[in-house]
Amino acid sequence: MNPTLPQFRGRLHDARTAVAIGRWLGSAVVVCFLTGLISHVLQHPPGWMTGLLPVRPAWGYRLTQGLHVASGLAAIVLVMAKLWAVYPRLFTWPAFRSLPHLVERLSIALLVAATVFELFTGLINILQWYPWPFSFTQTHYAVAWIVAGSLLLHLAVKAPLIRENWRKKKADVDAADRRALLAGVGAAVGAVTLTTVGQSLSALRGFDLLAPRSPDVATQGMPINRTAAAAQVTYASSEGWALEVAGPKPYRITLAELEALPQRRVRLPIACVEGWSADAWWSGVPIRDLLARAGAPPGTAVRVESLEVWGYYRVMEMPAQYADDPSTLLALRLNDEVLSLDHGYPARIIAPNRPGVLQTKWVSRLEAV
Amino acid sequence: MRIAVGAAGVFLIGVGLFFLLPLPGLLGVVVWFAGAIALHDVLIGPIVLVTGLLVARLPDRAVVRGALITMGGLVLITIPALLRPGPSPNPTVLVQDYPRNLLICLAAVAVVAVVLVLLRRRR
Ligand code: HEM
Repeated sequence: MNPTLPQFRGRLHDARTAVAIGRWLGSAVVVCFLTGLISHVLQHPPGWMTGLLPVRPAWGYRLTQGLHVASGLAAIVLVMAKLWAVYPRLFTWPAFRSLPHLVERLSIALLVAATVFELFTGLINILQWYPWPFSFTQTHYAVAWIVAGSLLLHLAVKAPLIRENWRKKKADVDAADRRALLAGVGAAVGAVTLTTVGQSLSALRGFDLLAPRSPDVATQGMPINRTAAAAQVTYASSEGWALEVAGPKPYRITLAELEALPQRRVRLPIACVEGWSADAWWSGVPIRDLLARAGAPPGTAVRVESLEVWGYYRVMEMPAQYADDPSTLLALRLNDEVLSLDHGYPARIIAPNRPGVLQTKWVSRLEAV
Repeated sequence: MRIAVGAAGVFLIGVGLFFLLPLPGLLGVVVWFAGAIALHDVLIGPIVLVTGLLVARLPDRAVVRGALITMGGLVLITIPALLRPGPSPNPTVLVQDYPRNLLICLAAVAVVAVVLVLLRRRR
């Protein structure tokens, strides 16, 4: 060993600790990856999956994206503990002994970089802070595959060490100290979860002290993701507004006429891609009634356009199974009040089990497709 | 089996690169990757190790260490909220008094730690 490099005698920096923390971290990352893929598919389904996206349970995305951010925050603590356990190996000398050893170290560098990158950009994104020159969603999506792949590669490389740890239960001279360390890491994960998960889990809302959102801080009982100002929509832009419905028998309908149609009142959540969610009462006209008036048969998908001047989600595609569902509304009221401008006045979409970004606000046009 | 898992890993990395490489701002991604490693290896790592060395000598090190890990985790996930420049994008984002709430959480952890130490000494 090169005498100028630090020497580590702390005995918990060993394979046993690395494996113990690794299996928690691995589980958290797997949950992140799978729930992340669910989020991706709900927003950008490959063609053959469009008809398969489930409309129920209505709270499905609320659960999966809440889990995504919760397990991601837990992983931030776990990755730190894991890196602490293996930190001495950073100073392995010589830096590489053989080609396989070099490849192993490079694969670990990729795993660490991709994971820390993913966790860190995710954490900053939920504050709606974008201090980087790339698109968050696209990059986060691509890097997720690199995280998953380099994790698998890492497991394959370390398989003998992991197997050895599970197989022979060698007497552990550091058992008490190790147990205390793992209990400490567990407490940290518990504390981080408890102080943030209330942004999606209503029962723990009272402990939500550190999350970016607190769904009690809201207008009309609902937090806002994109304001009317950000979307450049004003009350003036909806003056003389009439909804345009395109289909076999196209028509236009004013707000007063919409209000005169049979209304439905449903309880559905807004579940934001950023992890927070909240339930509310919505009332308005079922989309399927509006499509039927345009002569579109059941089983018709719909394209929804917004008054907003610019935005990734200005035009939204809604697969037929959502449009057919009786609780999918063109909502005019939120918690029994006329929608405020920030919540999408004059009319917005609310549908079960869809990410908040697809609950289009300031709707100007429906088109049967 | 081991080879199959490794090969699947390489394949998924390939999928990731396939998605990543065509994106605009790729150079930024590389810089952020390098930054992620650097931040950990030269800043967080040493701080944590030195703290660990100091704690190693304490009589109630099991509890003290657990409390420090918990506090570290809470600080880590709150730092971006403390540092974010500029106004909040709207009145329902970043709604809490983060410095105050963080102090409350850290104090709660300290209280729990003291109680645990006292209980352990009693036994
Ligand atoms: C290793 C851990 C992680 C993996 C593998 C992962 C993976 C993913 C994937 C595949 C998506 C879908 C992207 C898309 O729609 O194309 C996603 C979305 C998202 N993730 Fe993660 N993620 C991780 C950690 C985190 C963390 C720690 C946070 C925040 C604390 C986070 C926040 C988000 C957000 C806000 C979205 C929604 C983006 C959008 O649709 O606009 N992620 N994640």
